[in-house]
Amino acid sequence: MTKRMCGIAGILYKDGTTPRVLGSDLITMLDGCQHRGPDSTGFALYHEGTENDRLRLRFFVGEGEEGATTLARVKAKMSEFGAEVIEEELIGSTARVMVRFDGDLQEFAYAMEHVAKVVSIGSRLDIVKDIGSAHDVDNGYQIAEFKGSHGLGHVRLATESDVTPDASHPFWATGFADIAIVHNGQITNYWKMRRRLEKRAFEFNTDNDSELIAVYLADKLAQGHTLSEALESSIDDLDGTFSFLVSTQDGIGYAKDRLAAKPMVMYEDGDLVAIASEVVSLNRLFPGEALATSEPTPGTYRTWRRST
Amino acid sequence: MASVDLASVSVREANEQIRRLGAEGEDVEVLNSDARHHIGVGLVHPITLRIRGSAGYFCGGLTDGPRIEVDANVGWGLADNMLSGSIVVRGNASAIAGVAIRGPDVVVHGNIGSRAGQVMKEGTLLAGGNASFMAGYMMYGGRLVICGDSGEQLGQDMTGGEIFVGGRIQSLGTDATMTDIEESEVDNLVEFLERYKIPFKGRFQKVINAGKLLRYARSEPRVRVIPFFEASESTGYWNDKVKEDVSIKAQLGRYRIRGYGAARALPHLSDLAFKRDLSMIPPDSGAVERVELATSLGGRVGATPIDLSMPVMIAPMSYGALSKSTKIALAKASALSDICDNTGEGGLSDEVRAAAKRIVFQCLGGRLGWNIHDMQRADGIEIYISQGAKPGLGGQLMAKKVTPEIAEIRGIPAGIDLRSPSRHPDVLGADDLVIKVEEFREATEYMKPVSVKLGAGRVRDDIKIAYKDGFDYTCLDGLQGSTGAASSEVLEFVGIPTLAAIMEALDALEEIGASGMPIVLMGGIKDGLDTAKAIALGAHAVAMGTSAIIAGGCIACLQCHVGHCVVGIATQDPEHEKRYQIDPEALNIHRFLESVRWQLASILNAHNYKNVYELSRSDLVALTPEAAKITRLPYAPEYREAPQRLQVATG
Repeated sequence: MTKRMCGIAGILYKDGTTPRVLGSDLITMLDGCQHRGPDSTGFALYHEGTENDRLRLRFFVGEGEEGATTLARVKAKMSEFGAEVIEEELIGSTARVMVRFDGDLQEFAYAMEHVAKVVSIGSRLDIVKDIGSAHDVDNGYQIAEFKGSHGLGHVRLATESDVTPDASHPFWATGFADIAIVHNGQITNYWKMRRRLEKRAFEFNTDNDSELIAVYLADKLAQGHTLSEALESSIDDLDGTFSFLVSTQDGIGYAKDRLAAKPMVMYEDGDLVAIASEVVSLNRLFPGEALATSEPTPGTYRTWRRST
Repeated sequence: MASVDLASVSVREANEQIRRLGAEGEDVEVLNSDARHHIGVGLVHPITLRIRGSAGYFCGGLTDGPRIEVDANVGWGLADNMLSGSIVVRGNASAIAGVAIRGPDVVVHGNIGSRAGQVMKEGTLLAGGNASFMAGYMMYGGRLVICGDSGEQLGQDMTGGEIFVGGRIQSLGTDATMTDIEESEVDNLVEFLERYKIPFKGRFQKVINAGKLLRYARSEPRVRVIPFFEASESTGYWNDKVKEDVSIKAQLGRYRIRGYGAARALPHLSDLAFKRDLSMIPPDSGAVERVELATSLGGRVGATPIDLSMPVMIAPMSYGALSKSTKIALAKASALSDICDNTGEGGLSDEVRAAAKRIVFQCLGGRLGWNIHDMQRADGIEIYISQGAKPGLGGQLMAKKVTPEIAEIRGIPAGIDLRSPSRHPDVLGADDLVIKVEEFREATEYMKPVSVKLGAGRVRDDIKIAYKDGFDYTCLDGLQGSTGAASSEVLEFVGIPTLAAIMEALDALEEIGASGMPIVLMGGIKDGLDTAKAIALGAHAVAMGTSAIIAGGCIACLQCHVGHCVVGIATQDPEHEKRYQIDPEALNIHRFLESVRWQLASILNAHNYKNVYELSRSDLVALTPEAAKITRLPYAPEYREAPQRLQVATG
């Protein structure tokens, strides 16, 4: 497993009519804690108002010719599954595709993953991550104007061989739609938990423990548990030091390990909740104001839902 | 009152202005503080600093004397290692508030996060509200006051000091106990609460160390001296050392503690050889003059580098494990040979500072002897993560060695069996470490090189983090490194041999295309030949501990932990220390260091090299299959036939 060190951020607007812009708020928060991770930056963004049979997919395909070739392979595989491509775009080192699809999502997702490196799949979720700062990624992918109800962000300091975008966060719950994770810490019973999930035929595409958390939670949700229940059991089941944020189609949540070895602070008022590694990220959202921030206590979790 | 606006200047510039204004006797207001890290770090004047907003990590850290007020909340490590003065926070404080304080009043009107007062030594840390879990963790002294409720494991592994709680105590930590509170203590608390206008009407409960666990009931038995060779398994399986181990454990009922490093045979630099036949080098008094051995360390990010007349340093060894006389002799020898000394744990004494031309000041997890003034008078700052002899474990200093003087410089109660924590309170990952390094740089105005010492464990990951976190250089310590006290199983079996460590480190740096971060290799470096081989492999310099100690009179009896060192080195007993003759031993160590210089120069001459960094891997072969496997050097057993021992020039 690669070691990671990072800053995390998440925000949810409680009121659907907020004038705040999700993309710009997340950039602001991540810019505030970029010192925690200068190598790569990522965003998990949730689009508004999509139809039920639409799926958004994003792949790492490489740039230029390589990107076009990989996208062609992806589309060929999509047609085998009867997925009809509605939109497609090559941007940065990724391909963004929207399809009409109503088959078995897990089977489709694994098949996609075998063709190209999937960044995210969801009816609302779109994960954008690449090397560079929050502003660099914004320049490449136009994050700043993105409007939405909630999202996550992550900055990362890499220690692996090359700084590549696919090791950056957020992580998508491989095989499940619309679930994303940003995580600061290290899960020490990673392999035990992973083998347990693999025995049940779940696939993993990285050795990253954040992917494990995402799949773990997604599995709990798929079994009919609420997000709160999934987070509660994660504190018991996962060993190590962690502060993580999870997002779903309609909400966000956090969990913090019992040792509280990884920082996390939050601000909440009637309009929004914002959670980050450092207070500086929260302050940036309200320049010049003295914010009443608080720190989640060890071994706790909480969830928030967007207004429908 | 002057004001500094963080909306228009960086924290670094703001701190420069604040320091200057403080020196001039001016008070300062900080505007738009925006929860930025390191505000007010490194202040040594009685300045009043008003922070109009929130502060980030290490607010008022590494200071002596300021009065700081914060209008809102603070991040991790409030008042880190503050020596005197006061900090008042109107809002809440995050984790490890009051970490390692040594005398100030630290008052938080709201709640304090987890591990508040960790390794604190003196002064008062007060929370008007609640404390999260493990408040008073490993505290050595001082007073921790929690007006509200306390979380779990209050006073975990505390060895001294008192904790007062006004509310509910969720649970006590290991070895903490409730005790009766005295009238005078209540009066003192009431006076303190009134002084800082903290409303509190209830009754306090008092928690102290129970003293059951952190004491060795029995000291190590005195044993006869077994020579190092006899202590290794090369002299048979049930040898004297093994038999002694068994019989001592039969008395103690626990693991054994001893000094020195691994005694078993491991692949090492002695399993490498230069291809060039060095045995034929004639004694040559001009050898040193013909070559360039001088180097420097620490210019990576603009600090003043540490100059070395040759690529050799004195390895960090603590004042505590070693007597003050030995520390002074090492410092003197390092100055005579124009290289650099290292404090190790346990602080920098005036005598050692005066004797050393250059010295690196080391910061360990217990922050024992750590303080802003010695940071500022050192030539380099080093954060210790672990050491080769016992990577991942903390230090052990037996009660016999914790004399009043040692206790004073370390800021702990005299006569305790001292365990140094195995990890830093404020470094739980590489992201925290970045912020810690920045604190050191702020406190020393970016003038001192900041290095990291890594015991060889997960070298591949650790060295990448060291590079990414911007350290000026890394000291890498292999399994053959020694220590004053550790369990013998750990010494023998935990860690990665020096040879494997340097290879992993170099491979890892190459993997990420890193350049410009020198490695100082240590752990069993015994002469100029080892030094030359280490540099040929890719180290920038070496550090010598055990060999310097032996040069200065150590008889290698492995009894460093006992405290009765017969030659006055590993002892704090004045009667034993009297035997140590500082000046003659300093000269002995100096002569040994000069022999290293001569060997290095001779090896360069034999290769027709002018500069020590012309040495390269292509000059080396491996004498054993293991060493060849580790280093990927050609396996050339035929070189075993040609002994390469260099005779040291005499006279």
